Amino acid sequence: MIRNTKKEALIALVLIAPFLAVYGLIFVYPTIDMFVLSFHKAPLIGQGEFVGIDNYERLPRDRRFNTALWNTAYFVVLSVIPGTFAALGIALGISRLSGRLQALVLALFFLPYILPVSVVYRIWEWTLNFQFGVGMYVFDAVGLERVPLFKVKTWFMPTVAAITIWWTSGFSILLFLAGLRAIPNEIYEAAALDNSGRWTTFRSVTWPLLWPVTALVLTIQLILQLKIFDQVYLFSQGGRPNDNMVMVYYIFQKAFQNNQGGRAAAIAVVLFLIVIIVSVLNYQLLRLAGRQK
Amino acid sequence: MRTSIWAAGALAFTGAFTMAAQAEETVVWWDFLGGGDGVRMKQMISDFNDAHAGEIKIDATTLEWGVPFYTKVQTSVAVGEAPDIMTYHASRIPLAIEQGVMSEITSDDWAAMGLGQADYAPSLWDAISSDGKTYAVPLDTHPVVLYVNKDILAKVDMLNEDGTPKGMDSREGFTNLLKTLKDSGEVRYPLATTTADGGFIFRTIYSLMGQQDGELMSDGGFLEGDNGEKLANALSVIQEWTVEEYQPAYTDYPAAVALFTTGEAAMMINGVWEVPTMVDLENDGKLFNWTAVELPVIFDHPSTYADSHTFAIPASDDMSPEKRAAVLEVISWISKNSLFWATAGHIPAYGPVTELDEYKEMQPNATYSVLTSNMIFDPKTPLAGVAGPIFDVMSTYFVPTLNGEMDATEAVEEITYELNDM
Repeated sequence: MIRNTKKEALIALVLIAPFLAVYGLIFVYPTIDMFVLSFHKAPLIGQGEFVGIDNYERLPRDRRFNTALWNTAYFVVLSVIPGTFAALGIALGISRLSGRLQALVLALFFLPYILPVSVVYRIWEWTLNFQFGVGMYVFDAVGLERVPLFKVKTWFMPTVAAITIWWTSGFSILLFLAGLRAIPNEIYEAAALDNSGRWTTFRSVTWPLLWPVTALVLTIQLILQLKIFDQVYLFSQGGRPNDNMVMVYYIFQKAFQNNQGGRAAAIAVVLFLIVIIVSVLNYQLLRLAGRQK
Repeated sequence: MRTSIWAAGALAFTGAFTMAAQAEETVVWWDFLGGGDGVRMKQMISDFNDAHAGEIKIDATTLEWGVPFYTKVQTSVAVGEAPDIMTYHASRIPLAIEQGVMSEITSDDWAAMGLGQADYAPSLWDAISSDGKTYAVPLDTHPVVLYVNKDILAKVDMLNEDGTPKGMDSREGFTNLLKTLKDSGEVRYPLATTTADGGFIFRTIYSLMGQQDGELMSDGGFLEGDNGEKLANALSVIQEWTVEEYQPAYTDYPAAVALFTTGEAAMMINGVWEVPTMVDLENDGKLFNWTAVELPVIFDHPSTYADSHTFAIPASDDMSPEKRAAVLEVISWISKNSLFWATAGHIPAYGPVTELDEYKEMQPNATYSVLTSNMIFDPKTPLAGVAGPIFDVMSTYFVPTLNGEMDATEAVEEITYELNDM
């Protein structure tokens, strides 16, 4: 049969046209507009005047921008790697269980993931409230001095990172479990015949074969956590928002609280570039690391 | 029988006729009143609808308070889907004018409503004005006040004959009151303050600045001249209260209210909107004798920070004159009937209501409403107001300072730098 490539291309185009239209309207166009806006002194809504690279020029001098940049990086370090390894550990544990017990334990670990962030905030805010949180009574019982975790700069990010890991690791656990199940049992049997110990089996069989999944989880987590906003915003309420500033929060503050659309767009562009560069770098590095094994 | 059917038919006919000639105007209303005052506002809206059956009907929606509300207003005005009337904080008006979301209230509008400058406190009129134009109609003012547990103060003999606390006229006097309460061992804390919420305590600190005639903004700059020093003075007073354990550290809003209502704290600084909470508890027989008074004079003269709930009309190109008349009638009616609104603790902005005998008999409202003449409002800048960026800057440094982790002068330096950097 002779294929009519022209016709096929046309059909393909018709089929993807609705998607392209929507994608163009709600993603490509706003993205281009954001770049344009970042060169203007403009309110959130409405026209502004062209100011060249003013909005970018002031960023290095802007103290809060630096806080936001470093806090975001700090949060990523605190949440991505520990979160991935916690999920891997839990997944390895769950995979040793079987039947209903496995389903139950998996469900328990997955449960926090289905909660909306507002509920997560309420649960932890009440648990760790300095005056009446149950967590503080644990501090008392152990003989530690109470710490207002969400009101002190030193403790804020680690606490929020720990809560984030508790909240989001369910999904990573699922990915790891799927990865673990995909490793053929024969390899483990062969390893057992070679008298390989648990650690050796993990290091030489599980870890390398699971690497693609680990790389995926790391990348997903990285992109997700670079965009951290909700938890920081909620837990900062009434506390020290400007010390806990992260990139997306800063965009929100500039755009919605200060009505400085142009400056918000400039920060958004910087974040956009950081996310692209970091995630591409990350994926390439992880791929290289995977190949060497 | 036949005549009655005819009569009914005729009635129905004329009814339909009048309906056609004078259609009922539906006024779309947005507010952010979600608490106990929201319940009272719904009652007032329902009363209004009953009084204007067939003429005007309010279609009300309550939205999330703060940034979400103001963002929604801004976007809805931009796409022409704004409500006909909305509640607005006076402190947020400068930003609203810059965003172009408000329609000016003209002198014709004021005349149509039967309201005017003479009906409002001068500071309040100033808060809704910009460049000689007015943009909103104030409904109330809601300052912070000092709540007092009269039973405990009577026990330590710190109550005047008229039921107000002693020592309200100077820093020494008030410190002595706190110390007496602390030393008596009657309570865990003399005072409950929201030390964990820097945005909230801004109201108290700004009041103390006002007592020294300090200004947050002058000539477009923040904390110029000796204003920084005045802020530091205010901060160190409240810091001292924490250090001396007159008030608990890192206490947030619900905890502060709980400390007071359970009798573990003898006094509390909080907004007048907590008055209904106390009244309800008292009616259930679960509260001690209590009152609320103007903040103590720590520095030179009385001064209290207040904000105001106002009504504003969103900017729109296609509001018909009939609709605008209906909106003005809504504002006018609610303002003139705002005595009921006073049960939510707020002080009605419309002067004649506070002159009524019924209002003068309301307690403790009548006791604290004298502060109306000492009110100060937010500086007029788009950065000010509830849930605005100034709140965030203040909060960031107030929390460590008030809890004794940062020096007041250092905090003021940082605040000045950041405010001027925005």
